[in-house]
Amino acid sequence: MGAPNGPCQTRVQVLSVQNLGTDVFVMRCFCPEIAKRARPGQFVHVKCGDDRAYILRRPFSIHRVTSDNAFELLIRKVGKGTKYLSTVTPQSQLDMIGPLGTGFDIPEPTKKAVVVAGGLCVAPMMFLAEELIARHIRLYTVIGAQSRDELYYYMDFKRMGRDVYVATDDSSQGHGGFASDLVPRAIEDGAPDVIYACGPHEMLAAVAGCAREYRIPCQVSLEASMACGVGACLSCACETTEGPQRVCVEGPVFDADRIEW
Amino acid sequence: MKNPVMTASGTFGSGREYADFINLDRLGAIVVKGVTREPRAGNPTPRICETPSGMLNAIGLQNPGVERFIAEDLKWLAPLGVPVIVNIAGGTVTEYSDVARTLSRAGGVAGLEVNISCPNVKRGGISFGCDPEMTVKVVAAVRKAAPGLPLIVKLTPAAGDVVGVAEAAAAAGADALSLINTFPGMSIDTETFEPRLGSTTGGLSGPAIRPIAVKMVFDVSRAVRVPIIGMGGISTAQDAIEFMLAGASAVAVGTANFVDPKATIDIIEGLERFVRVRCIDSITSIIGAVKVR
Repeated sequence: MGAPNGPCQTRVQVLSVQNLGTDVFVMRCFCPEIAKRARPGQFVHVKCGDDRAYILRRPFSIHRVTSDNAFELLIRKVGKGTKYLSTVTPQSQLDMIGPLGTGFDIPEPTKKAVVVAGGLCVAPMMFLAEELIARHIRLYTVIGAQSRDELYYYMDFKRMGRDVYVATDDSSQGHGGFASDLVPRAIEDGAPDVIYACGPHEMLAAVAGCAREYRIPCQVSLEASMACGVGACLSCACETTEGPQRVCVEGPVFDADRIEW
Repeated sequence: MKNPVMTASGTFGSGREYADFINLDRLGAIVVKGVTREPRAGNPTPRICETPSGMLNAIGLQNPGVERFIAEDLKWLAPLGVPVIVNIAGGTVTEYSDVARTLSRAGGVAGLEVNISCPNVKRGGISFGCDPEMTVKVVAAVRKAAPGLPLIVKLTPAAGDVVGVAEAAAAAGADALSLINTFPGMSIDTETFEPRLGSTTGGLSGPAIRPIAVKMVFDVSRAVRVPIIGMGGISTAQDAIEFMLAGASAVAVGTANFVDPKATIDIIEGLERFVRVRCIDSITSIIGAVKVR
């Protein structure tokens, strides 16, 4: 069966569910198999209860690995599956598959990195940022949200590196507009070796354009609707220079210049 | 086959996607994703959406083409010792027979499943499977192209006269029939007014279609003598038993693989338990044993 570092299907114990905003919560989970193997950018595929009316699993980026045994998911309540997860109580168990997918690559030697996160796509970027800091890489973080109430991780990023650029759709904090508008400034301030981005497709396309202009390698984490999460169903295909690729296996992280934007 | 549980084409990739989660050699057979003569890029995304007790898909037969399938996937699968059944598709009768011929020469193929029921391609697929005359043409051509290989013909529930198509397939040389493929369906986002699938319509699968599938297996099993592989929303051993009672000699597990990678194994173990608890000789003794009132 499985390779030692491959994904597994397992019962995961929920340690806590903490609300961050009206519809957003962090779920902390106990599972050494997943926590030990996870790399930034990878995801878990979660069975959301036993209701036979909606049967598919929901994929979530691994938000943070807090110890050898525990990891966190950052979730917005949008439908039946995530609503169910928001009601799960500590000590209960969830069926998860993970860690899945290809995460971010941190090429040697990287000394400085720009990290761009739009909205709740900040989820995998926290895990990545913590890994970059652990490797003594200096961070230039660009975060965007609809309004200042949704800049959940501003202070955390500020602690990890003083250069944090903020954009809000409603101009309630920082630049009024998209996070991608601030990427040229972050690049010019930081002269980074690499750019990492996760967010809405249009934002990623803009960041990829910027990276190309400045000739800096860029990795983007894509989202796609998926059924199996393990590469079998081919529902999460994305167009790349090498033909269709699976977001769940070859991705979710891709080199930006491989994507047909 | 060591047991009657197989995978449904398109839900199990080429098998190796599930090697991290189950022992593949416990399966009765692996039916791999549909293969065509040339590589196919598939349909625009989104390719799936969830619906009550099921899902719609419109993958569009994305596959690397038969040559690469043989060089990569079949090469990986063949040494496992599990019967490998290759689902074949095409836009014309010649494409079907070309793929069949190439596969019959490859070695390591236990049988072919002729897909005349895919709802997600413009030519071939479902349009062949709705028409008994086209069914005969495709099946006879494949039979001739791959004379040594067992031939399974996969039927669509969209055919007006499924029994008629089944009889035509059997007469043209099918060794077994598999039914049913997905049911054509559509879902619309009421916020954006757009279809929820990139190619507008797709195929419905999952528990939602199970009663339709059970009835078709029941109807067809009473009309033809070739064995039937029953499928359509099977998620538990009990579901598999239902299909066998209706007349299926074997079953295939589809959408349930997405929900639970271990679904096939749980079903195999459930059937073994059923045989023990009911003190029957073999699970085959329940085939067609429904007591119609």
